[in-house]
Amino acid sequence: MSSTNIIETKNLTKTYGDFTAVSNLNLHIRKGSVYGFLGPNGAGKSTTMKMFLGLTSPTEGFFQIEGKTYPKDRISILRDIGSFIEAPAFYGNLTGEENLEIIRRILGLPRSAVADALELVGLTQYKKRLAKKYSLGMKQRLGLAGALIGHPPILILDEPTNGLDPVGIHEIRTLVRSLPEKYDCTVLVSSHLLPEVELMADDIGILNHGRLLFEGTLEELEKSAQAAGLPTFNLEETFLAMIDDDNRNRGERI
Amino acid sequence: MTAAANTIRLSALETKKLKRTGYVPAFLGGGLLAGLVPVLNMAVRSERYVTQSGSPFSILMDANWQLMAQLNILLLVCGACILYHTEYAENGFQRAETLPMKASGLFPGKLCILFCSCLLPICLETLSLLFCCTRYFPEIPDLGRTLLKGMGFELALLLPTAAAMLFLSSLCRNLWMCLGTGVILVFFSSMLRFGNFVMAVIPFAAPYRMLHQFSSGEAWRLLSIAAAEVVLFYAAEMIYTKLRRYFQ
Repeated sequence: MSSTNIIETKNLTKTYGDFTAVSNLNLHIRKGSVYGFLGPNGAGKSTTMKMFLGLTSPTEGFFQIEGKTYPKDRISILRDIGSFIEAPAFYGNLTGEENLEIIRRILGLPRSAVADALELVGLTQYKKRLAKKYSLGMKQRLGLAGALIGHPPILILDEPTNGLDPVGIHEIRTLVRSLPEKYDCTVLVSSHLLPEVELMADDIGILNHGRLLFEGTLEELEKSAQAAGLPTFNLEETFLAMIDDDNRNRGERI
Repeated sequence: MTAAANTIRLSALETKKLKRTGYVPAFLGGGLLAGLVPVLNMAVRSERYVTQSGSPFSILMDANWQLMAQLNILLLVCGACILYHTEYAENGFQRAETLPMKASGLFPGKLCILFCSCLLPICLETLSLLFCCTRYFPEIPDLGRTLLKGMGFELALLLPTAAAMLFLSSLCRNLWMCLGTGVILVFFSSMLRFGNFVMAVIPFAAPYRMLHQFSSGEAWRLLSIAAAEVVLFYAAEMIYTKLRRYFQ
């Protein structure tokens, strides 16, 4: 594992019966960067993130997080990761504050960590409201607060702006962008929207049908697209053309 | 940290998750209802029992325990369903799995809570039986000890059922599936309440058995088997937790 990379995968594969969700994935996520994980729905982004969190086991290959491997160091890995996967996960019968209090106790953080996390995502005034009564955007923020509590060195965020209004999207985007500098952390953030990732990420990885089509900086993406004869005037066009091209190569109709 | 200390810490966390679920009122209400059974029975037909020979505690247990045990098992079913429903309803379980704790640690924490919760109805039932013994029967020597031994035995026999129902609840993400299965098992097991020793060790059927039905040796054997069953369900949960990662 390279000393500059905090997360690396080697031929990471996950299959369900005869369906391959993730295929021979080789990711390299630099320490202190925001890594945008892009791909259409069903590309394998969430499955990859779930493997990092030990929610599902790889079928083949392996990954290292800060030099630690799964399943041997699962608990140690989780100690360093704040995560938000798919839909917000919480206890609906508890208030936002009580939900975070449970996480705080498990992580062994000081009492002030709950208030900090609530403040960070702008939920302080709604902390006494039951989580099940939160709006979708507030649930999303609570999920983010749960990931950010204690300022973990690695953050894994799966489509964190889903369900947020434009103001909320902007706030979360600004927050994610500022995290590496503020808390010296690395962020892996997934999205199926290129403009979204474009504004947040230092590096990007493009996934389609479980395969990594591209990994590198946005400039490198542009160069790579030019070399492949794909449109480059707009990064969204580049992304769509890349996916389209890959689908055609797979002999699929889209 | 020792396993016991860890279980206590997790149980304390688990109790926090039960806020506003109706868990405590359910056990309190169920316990009161079960406690009312011998009181009402004695109030309306005491002459049928006071004329019988034998230990008053055994007479009262024979007369009322089947219904009381059924209520206790129903409470366990509801309690186990509530305990896991809080995890699955809004996906809190997935959140717990991404935290640095063993997901398999949830089970002993929840089992500890479920077992402690059984103390509430058992205590209410003990008080009710104590009331009936002292109200309707002449002075009984060593009543306190008999009561404690008898009800302690019943409490211990509830444990395998609690573990079995918790395991079932952890398998079913849908509350109605585990509740439905639990209720079916309650009524099915009520058909097994009589019969030989083998029938007596089956979870869901065991709580219908009473201490005075067994010799001392048999009672200890039954308690040992109950403890082994709890370990068995715990092991099954561990295996399930590990296997689940490969399929989800």
